[in-house]
Amino acid sequence: MIMPLLQGLKITFLHMFKKPVTLQYPDERPNVVPNFRGLHGLKVSHERAKCVACYLCPTVCPAKCITVEAGEDANHDKFAARYEIDMLRCIFCGYCVEACPVDALKMTQEFELASYKREDFVFVKERLLEKK
Amino acid sequence: MVNLTIDDKQVTVPKDATIFDAAKAAGIRIPILCHDKKLHPFGGCRMCLVEVEQMKGRQIPACTTPVTEGMIVRTTTDEIIKARKMVLELLLLKHPIDCPVCDAAGDCDLQNLTYEYKVNANRFQDEKFQHKIDYENPLIERDMNRCIHCGKCARICDEIVSFGAYTFMNRGIEAKIGTEFDGPLNCEFCGSCVSVCPVGALVSRPFKFKARWWSLNKVKSVCSYCGTGCQLTLGVKDNKVLTTIYDENQGFHNGQLCTRGRFGYQFVNSDKRLSTPLIRKNGTLQPASWDEALTLVSAKLVEAKNAGGKSVAGLVTPRLTNEELFLIKKLFKDGLGSDSIDHSAGYAHAALTAGAAESFGSAASPSVISDIQNADLLLVVKTDAYETHPVVGFEINLGVKRKEIDLRIISDKRGKLSKLPKAVTYVHKPGQEVALVNALAQVLLADNLQDSTATGVEGFEGLKQQLEAFAPEKIAAACGLDADTIKTLARDYAKAAKALIILPLGLGYPGHGKALAQALANLALLSGKVGKEGCGVLFLGEKNNSQGAADLGIYPTAGGADADAILAGCQSGSIKTLIVAGENPVVSYPDRKRVEAALDKVEFLVVQDLFLTETAAKAHVVLPACSFAEKSGTFTSVGRAVQQVNQAIKPVGEARSDFAILNGLLAGLTGNAPYADAAAVFAEIAATVPAYAGLTIAGLGDTGAILPVTVKPRFVAAETAAVTAESGKFALVTGSALYHCGTMSRFGEGPMHVCPEGYVELGRDDAQALNVKDGDTVAVKSASGELRLKAKVGTRMPQGVVFAPYHFDEASVNSIAVGAPVTWVSISK
Repeated sequence: MIMPLLQGLKITFLHMFKKPVTLQYPDERPNVVPNFRGLHGLKVSHERAKCVACYLCPTVCPAKCITVEAGEDANHDKFAARYEIDMLRCIFCGYCVEACPVDALKMTQEFELASYKREDFVFVKERLLEKK
Repeated sequence: MVNLTIDDKQVTVPKDATIFDAAKAAGIRIPILCHDKKLHPFGGCRMCLVEVEQMKGRQIPACTTPVTEGMIVRTTTDEIIKARKMVLELLLLKHPIDCPVCDAAGDCDLQNLTYEYKVNANRFQDEKFQHKIDYENPLIERDMNRCIHCGKCARICDEIVSFGAYTFMNRGIEAKIGTEFDGPLNCEFCGSCVSVCPVGALVSRPFKFKARWWSLNKVKSVCSYCGTGCQLTLGVKDNKVLTTIYDENQGFHNGQLCTRGRFGYQFVNSDKRLSTPLIRKNGTLQPASWDEALTLVSAKLVEAKNAGGKSVAGLVTPRLTNEELFLIKKLFKDGLGSDSIDHSAGYAHAALTAGAAESFGSAASPSVISDIQNADLLLVVKTDAYETHPVVGFEINLGVKRKEIDLRIISDKRGKLSKLPKAVTYVHKPGQEVALVNALAQVLLADNLQDSTATGVEGFEGLKQQLEAFAPEKIAAACGLDADTIKTLARDYAKAAKALIILPLGLGYPGHGKALAQALANLALLSGKVGKEGCGVLFLGEKNNSQGAADLGIYPTAGGADADAILAGCQSGSIKTLIVAGENPVVSYPDRKRVEAALDKVEFLVVQDLFLTETAAKAHVVLPACSFAEKSGTFTSVGRAVQQVNQAIKPVGEARSDFAILNGLLAGLTGNAPYADAAAVFAEIAATVPAYAGLTIAGLGDTGAILPVTVKPRFVAAETAAVTAESGKFALVTGSALYHCGTMSRFGEGPMHVCPEGYVELGRDDAQALNVKDGDTVAVKSASGELRLKAKVGTRMPQGVVFAPYHFDEASVNSIAVGAPVTWVSISK
C-alpha cells in the first residue's frame, strides 16, 4: 500500500537533481533541429527569387494553401508575380519543398507564427523571401 | 480488308491502313511523336517502331508501314523498348528540359513518354541548342531549342492550312524548323502549328504562363464567331476562359481552328465587358440595378403592347443560342403582337430565308460540309469564302490537295483559294455575280447539258425564257470575262459527276442575297446536282447561329417590318421602342449616318450586349448580356448542324444571359410561368419547328446532329441589279477580313494584335498610278461620305477594284458604303 507511493516520491526526488526538460520560453530559446519544418522561405540567387512559378507546389499541396501567379519579365522569362502561403491552412508537410524542381523553396526553423489578425497569416512573396 | 495479328490480337482493317491504324483499332497504343491522324504519315521520330515476324526481327515504323495479310506484329518486346528509350535519350540530349517554365508541361508528348519509359539518365552528352527565340509576333512564340523535329507544324501548315510558313532548313545537327529567310513568323496566325506541336517549341503567347495545363477545367463548346460551327474546348480557370485546347477528336474539322477560334476568345473575360445594367439619366448612361432596368423596360413594353405592338421592333444578332432566338421571337409574336423583328441588316440572311426558301423549299442549304470532300468540282463564289469561314477553307484545301478536286472560283478579286494547285479563278467585274451565274445556266440550256430531272421542275419554261438575255456573248463584256471562258466553266461544271457550289454570306456582302442564291440554285437544279452526295449549294451563314436564326424565323414572316423598314420607322417615329439584342447596327449595317440618325430618334432604345458598343452608347437602357462561354444552349451552323454549347464560366459581373433576360420579360408580358431552363425551350423548339422535330438536348451529345433538308425544287428567275460604272472611280467591294468576324472579334486581343484597324486594299498597278505605298493613309470618297484608311497594296485586287473590311468602328466602311454590292469611290492621297 505504502510502497507505490514511496516509489513515486523516489522518482520525484531523483528529478530534483537532473537537468529540467522544460524551457523557460520565451526567456530561453529552444534549439530547433535543422530538418524542422517551420515557416517557408523562398531562396534567393543572383538578387532574385529562384522560384520560376512552375506551379508544382500549389499542385502538390494537400491543404491548397499556396497561391502562385506567373508573370513574364523583360527577358521573357517566367517568374512568380505573386506567391502566397496561407499559414492558417498550411499543415507543414513539406511536400512543396520536395516538389520544387529548382530548389527554390525551403522550410526554416522559424516557428513563432502567431499573429493578431487573419490577414497577417497570409505570407506574401516579400515576407517569404529569405533574409540575408 | 486485311487480317493481321498485333500482340496476339486478331485485327481486321481496310487495306490502306497502316500498322499504327490497325493497332489503334485493336485498342493497342503505340507511342508516337511525329504522327497526326490529319496528316500524311511522316515516319520521322522512330518512337512507333514495332517488330514484324515476317521481317525477321527488323524494327519498322508502325505509322508508315501498310498492313499486309497475315502480318504478325509485336509492339512491346524488350528490344523495341530499348530502341524507344534510346530515341528518347537522343531527343533529350538536345532538349533544354525546362519543363518548369514550359507551358507544354503536362500536355507534352515528350514529357509523357520520358516518364512512361523511365528515361531518367542519359548515356550521351552534348551541348544544348542556342537558337534565338522568336518573340516578335504577338500570338505564337517559337522556341526552336525545344523542337524535336517532328515536322508536324510544317506539315499542317502546308497540308491543311496551305500557307507554308514553316519548313526544315539546314542539314544534320544544324537542322531546324525555319520560316521564310529564317525571319520572324508572319503568317495568318491560325495557330494550327501550336495545336499539333508535341512539345513546347510553339506556344500560344496570349496564354503564355497563364496557367498549367493540368489546372485547367476543360469545357467542350462551339465557337461563337462564324457559321462553320467548329467545336472547341475551352480551358477555364478561376472563372476565366484562358485558352482553347486542341482535341483532335472534335468535330468534322478534327479540332482544327482558325485564328479567331483559337486566339479570339479573350472577349469573354475582357475588361470592357459590361457588368451592370445602365440607364440613361440626364443624358448619360449610369449604372443601375437589374430591378430598376427591367421594370423600366417592362413598363415600356407593356405600353407598346397596349398600343397594338406596331410601335415596337427588334434587331437580333444571330450569335444568340437557338433557345434565346426562340424566346425573342415568342416575346415579339405572343408577348407584344409585333412581327417587326430582323437580323443581319435584313439582307445577310436573304440568300437563305428568301433565296433557298423559294428555290429549295426550305431556308437551309441542301448540302452539308462533308459534301466538300466528296465533290469532284467545287464552284466557290468569291475567294472570300476562305476569309469568312476559314475552317471550311481548310476543308477546301484538303479536298483540292488530297482528292484533287477541281476548284473553280468566281470572284471579284483573287485570294488565298486562288493559290491552290490547279485552282482556276474567274475574276469578273464587281457586282456581276448574278449575271455570270445566269450565263452559266444559259450555257447549260443552250448546250443541252441540263439534267433530265430539270425539265419537270416548276418554273423551267419561265427560267428558259429569262435566261435568253444572259447568253455569254451578251454579258461577257459587262462581266469582264470572255464568252468562251464562261462556256468552258459551265460545261466543266455540268460534266462533273459531283459538283458543289459554295456561297459565303455576310454583312460585308450585300450582293450575296436572294438573287445570287436563286441563280446558283437554278444552276444546281438545271444540272441535277442537288440532293446527292457531294452536290448542291452550301450557303455559309455569317454568324455562329445564322442558320438557327433562319430556322427560328428571326425575320418578318407575317408582314412586319424588316431591318431596313425598322430603321426607317425609327426615323419617322412610327417605331417608338427598339430592342437591339447583340446587334451593332451603327458599325455593321449599311449607311452609318442613317442608322445613327434612326437610333438617335427612336424614343426608347434597349440594347442587350456584352460591351458598350457604338449602338449601346445610344441606348436608353443597356442590359449586360452573357457570352457563349457563360451559357448553355444550342447553335445551328452551316449545313444545319445543331450542336451544344456548354456553360464554362459563371456570368461576368452582374451580367445575365439573354435567355434569363428574355425569359423574365416574356413571363411578365404573357403572364405565363417562365421556362425552367434552356432544355425546356429546346423541347418546345423540337415540338414546334418542323426541321427540329424529334431532337432532344441529351440526344445531341458532344457530336451534335445534322438535320436533313428535304428539297422541293423550283426555278425562280434571278433578277440582276444594274451596276453602273462611274468612269475614273474605283469599285469598292466590302467584306470580311480573315482575322475578324462581325464586330465582336474587335474585343478579342488575338484578332486585334494581327489586324487592329480598317484598311483599303488596292492592286499594285492602281497603287502605282496613285503613287500610294503600302501603309500610306489615303482618302476614300464616295457619294455618301469620305474616310481616311490605311492602304494595303497587294496582288489580289484587279485593276479598278478596291476592297475594305467592314468590322471596325473607327473609319467604318459603312459611312461610305450604303448597302449596294459595289460602291464607287475616288481615292486620293
